[in-house]
Amino acid sequence: MGTNLLDAELVKRVQAGDKAAFDILVQKYQHKVVNLIARFVSDQTECYDIAQDAFIKAYRAIGNFRGDSQFYTWLYRIAANTAKNHLASRARKSSNYTVDVEDAEHFEGESRLKEYTTPENLLLSEEIERTVFQAIKDLPDDLKSAITLREIEGLSYEEIAEVMDCPIGTVRSRIFRARDAIDKELRPLLE
Amino acid sequence: MTEQQDKISYLLDEFSDGAHCRSVLDEVESDVNLKYKMRRYQMIGEVIRHELPVHINTNFSANIMAQIDQIENAADLSGNRTSNKIEPGLNDSSLNNGRSIWTWSMMKPLAGMAVAASVAVLAVTLWQFSYLGNNSGKTSEQIVGVDQKRNDFLANVPVQANAVTVSSSVDSGLRWKINNNTPALQQKLNAYLVNHTEYSNSMQGLIPQARVAGFDAQK
Repeated sequence: MGTNLLDAELVKRVQAGDKAAFDILVQKYQHKVVNLIARFVSDQTECYDIAQDAFIKAYRAIGNFRGDSQFYTWLYRIAANTAKNHLASRARKSSNYTVDVEDAEHFEGESRLKEYTTPENLLLSEEIERTVFQAIKDLPDDLKSAITLREIEGLSYEEIAEVMDCPIGTVRSRIFRARDAIDKELRPLLE
Repeated sequence: MTEQQDKISYLLDEFSDGAHCRSVLDEVESDVNLKYKMRRYQMIGEVIRHELPVHINTNFSANIMAQIDQIENAADLSGNRTSNKIEPGLNDSSLNNGRSIWTWSMMKPLAGMAVAASVAVLAVTLWQFSYLGNNSGKTSEQIVGVDQKRNDFLANVPVQANAVTVSSSVDSGLRWKINNNTPALQQKLNAYLVNHTEYSNSMQGLIPQARVAGFDAQK
């Protein structure tokens, strides 16, 4: 039950003109989409640019999305095609386009490079990972097990309840408390 | 607040029913703190599953929403918006969305213009054809008169060809007569001139005259 119910509800809202719902979809899938595009394009700056294009295309086409496939399948297809088109376009440009050494300073890509792939952003990513894993390490065993079984193993609440030999309500509570404890450490980094 | 956070946690795990999902989303959309909370809960899962990109852009979704606002504002200003908030169905190769009503609605006036242009071209072509067929309304007598004048003019133009004196003689049936008794050369020159005067009538744009600046008897 409820599989992709959240996506379906968000899509329905976007189709009704609710842009805030699309913002939630972007936040939910942004890193998955960036990781997908990174399989085609190694440069992180380009990955974010292509991901941005893909999300905008998705927004403009979402009126035609009828739910025949899952939203994320549809979104990934747009992202993959956008990345492939980008590569083809870049190949065409590179065949007759060069940047002089003197002009490289003013090259358009440089500003975008500054925006995304800064040492601060790299540091932030590392800091987030370190903080989250440290917070998990500090959790009580029951919370640690619950969040690990859910996030890594992908088990349902029922399966976790069976593994941990406790009621489903307890599983739900443990997972929430684990997230909340980790969030308390994570929040200062993102504010 | 804790209850709301618990609901968000539950919602992210996709075990909510429809009514629960809608009520939580209403709360999240109306409270920016809950929205950030939901984002961080999602990020925790991404970190645990090692799905966080090497570089993260914390303004990514804000940039996208700003860009969407810009696009919509531009569309509003140009009056191109066809629906309330969405412009569905851009015919992009990266979208596998099948047929699009929006695309047809844009193509319809273009198709109309194409048909109108075709009709205009056809009308002009027919008019030109008719104009040439009637030869500007001239009678056959007028045309013959013009040709006769042209032939007379050409017949009276002296041509110097490699020291060979050339004069005209319409009486003999030849346009030109060469004084040095070379019939082959005379015939060749006459054929050349006839080709450039007699057959030019049907082709507008050709100057119905021939200019002989030099003449090599060996060729």
